[in-house]
Amino acid sequence: MKNSTVHAWLYGVALALAGLPLAMISAPAVAQALIVNTGNFNPPPCDYSDQFYQDNGVDPTQVIGRFGTSRLTGPPARSASQVNWVADPTCATNDPDRRNFRILATTGGFTDNGTNAPNAFISILGFLNNEAAFETTYTRLAGTHDITIANSNNPRGISMESIVSNFEAYAMVKQRLPNGQFATNPCATDAASPLAPPTPCFDVSTVNTVYTPNLRQDWRFAQNRNAMDGSDNNCISNNPTICGPNAPTVLSDSPFGYFCDDLLGMWIVTYVWLTQDPANATPACQAVYQQLEAENGFSLDGGPIIITPNDTDNTLEGSGCGAEGQLTTGDGGAIWLICPAIPDPRNGAIAADAFLDQVFLPNGQPQNPTMTANFVALQTTGQFPGDGDGSVP
Amino acid sequence: MVARRDFIKLAAVATAASPFILSNSARAAQKKLRIAKWAHFVPEFDVWFASVARAWGEQHHVKVSVDVIPVEAVAAVAAAETRAGKGHDVFIFPWPPAQFYQHAIDHGAVYQLVAAKYGAVQQLAHRSTFNLRTGKYSAFADFWMPTPLQFRHDAWAKVGMGLGPLTSTGLRTGARQLREKFGLPLGFAFTPTLEGNVTLHTLLYSHRAWLLDGNGAVLFNKNVFAVQALKYIESLYRESGSPEQLSWGSAGNVQAMLAGKASATSNAINLVRAAETKDPQLAGGIWLQPPLLGTNGMGVTALPHVTNCSVVWNFGRNQDVATQFLADLVDSSRAGYEKSLGCNFPIYPKTVPDLIVRLSKDPHADPALKYTALKDALHWTPNLGVPGFATPAYMEIFNSFLIPRMVQSVLKGERSPEDAAASAAAEMQTIATKWQQV
Repeated sequence: MKNSTVHAWLYGVALALAGLPLAMISAPAVAQALIVNTGNFNPPPCDYSDQFYQDNGVDPTQVIGRFGTSRLTGPPARSASQVNWVADPTCATNDPDRRNFRILATTGGFTDNGTNAPNAFISILGFLNNEAAFETTYTRLAGTHDITIANSNNPRGISMESIVSNFEAYAMVKQRLPNGQFATNPCATDAASPLAPPTPCFDVSTVNTVYTPNLRQDWRFAQNRNAMDGSDNNCISNNPTICGPNAPTVLSDSPFGYFCDDLLGMWIVTYVWLTQDPANATPACQAVYQQLEAENGFSLDGGPIIITPNDTDNTLEGSGCGAEGQLTTGDGGAIWLICPAIPDPRNGAIAADAFLDQVFLPNGQPQNPTMTANFVALQTTGQFPGDGDGSVP
Repeated sequence: MVARRDFIKLAAVATAASPFILSNSARAAQKKLRIAKWAHFVPEFDVWFASVARAWGEQHHVKVSVDVIPVEAVAAVAAAETRAGKGHDVFIFPWPPAQFYQHAIDHGAVYQLVAAKYGAVQQLAHRSTFNLRTGKYSAFADFWMPTPLQFRHDAWAKVGMGLGPLTSTGLRTGARQLREKFGLPLGFAFTPTLEGNVTLHTLLYSHRAWLLDGNGAVLFNKNVFAVQALKYIESLYRESGSPEQLSWGSAGNVQAMLAGKASATSNAINLVRAAETKDPQLAGGIWLQPPLLGTNGMGVTALPHVTNCSVVWNFGRNQDVATQFLADLVDSSRAGYEKSLGCNFPIYPKTVPDLIVRLSKDPHADPALKYTALKDALHWTPNLGVPGFATPAYMEIFNSFLIPRMVQSVLKGERSPEDAAASAAAEMQTIATKWQQV
């Protein structure tokens, strides 16, 4: 329930955060999750075991920047003393599909479930930039039956690559170049929009280019794309209350649920960019940018923050003032992320030593204080602020 | 105009054997049922269909005949019949015949008959055959064909995409490399054919370049998506296409793939089924994938290659018989699935309840799980006309090949993408206005 109490609480948290840098708890080399609240039945996130990667069609040796193996420090951690992950012997105990490296870096984002709230929290375990990372053949005897990958298809007869194509994570890479120029396309010819000059372009040649310090705003995740938002315009149920001509158009019962099919929590990265410099845009695009800026605020590039599918698909891209695209094998940059969303970030899933990976303003303040407030509340109380769902009050 | 001799006469007279069974009075009262149907991509299906129709006729004391019409002639023959106010009792189209709604009975009765056995009408069928203005069903849909991506696995593996392209960027990159390195062009149909129509309507839709909205208003070129999509198609053609793509006749893309002269195409699975018959080794190298991930938030999607829609003309003399025939025909959906070599996906899932199992255990599949790529086809296949219904205006746009003509004008260098989109939008507006005034 959104009442004045909730508003005041959030405001207080935001103010507190505005005045102080995020508390950085120095993590020991080996640690156990420090869970401070009661009812902590959701274990915090850990990296998957090699076997689980393989069972789900991904060669773990091809995962770039895999937490638990590399990227102990550096982005997304913001200070030299902060680590992104710690060894934790409880991981595999809590979940045998995990290995004993617990992830502290918790990346925040906007969810696509219709609320557009900054309440999606994920763990960026690693990146893939080549189709070769997907297994073509694999066999393991699991109990009384084999788990097999044959011709790239998993035991259910689907390739992981195909499943992942249904789940988009929207990356908004900085377009303002160090020399002040505004790049209106990515440096990837085939992904570039024909609506803007190919140069100057912004770098997408390595996975590092989607590290948080290189983003102009926080991520958006379509974890519910096919389940709830109806964006595939498809509905096949015979139940007229779900799919009938008078049913709500937002309902859809499409293939692949993020949490039940995409077991590695993978995403295909969809890069979204502005096709004009907001500081020097045509009147038409200026109007579009200003509308979005009024609704969502400013990104680090000076243009608008983009939050909702409507912002992206209709307002921005429909006017030609923005574009989107994916990279492909050979481009070098991140094509896929292995970054499972935390199914339920409440009740212990955000450990006391976890830290929020989000976009910060030059003055050190978080770009989205509500996201910060959500994280802090989850970390300290195990609940969203005011027992809500983390939506913008 | 299609000459009568162009029709393939499959099953003429059911009474050839039955006069000895029927009484004189029964013979005198015997009704006729003349069926016109589009020529299926799997010819054996039409032979089977004729036999089923004949058997049904014998059972119901109806004299049944079936005329098979080449796909490219279907629209013209149907138009001729409606102009003349006479023709077949049942006319079966490979797409929603919304343009002819004024000449069709309300097929809601057929859906009701079938519902008792097989459940309510599915969304794909509902949105393909329901006329929002009249509140009636202008046709009855009983099966459809998904349009997966079909690609040469061996070739795409050479450019690091053994699973084929999954995104529009991947298609562009991989297809270009295949033509550059191996002289193997892309095999997407860009012609005024059914294949070209479905391919191009899908490419536009998956770029969010929608033609009409749910109320029938023209959306095309009201934003940048149309020009964006046209520029993408232009890039595909320029970088990875072949001149033949602009001159193929019906199923030209299929022939190119079967001849090993194309790297990938978008089509119903009759392509790979034909390969299994003619060249199993080639078939083993052609893999399937769901359609490409669309851009601008469109997700994985492709329009149906076929939406099998039957119409009972309201000027027909045997409407009751025709209605019963269509309802009873659904009983044969399982056999139809088999006789079509798995091309015909049932509108009523209960008729082929083990579809997923069949896809995963297809005896001809090489590799073994090839057809599992289709298991979620209903999820990624919206109706022609999406985001609205298959309206008369949309289907006139479809059948007049406005989209292939627009694309060809760009690919041949006759118009810029901007001019072509503007011209096509104007033509769409004329069509939409016309139907609003009907």
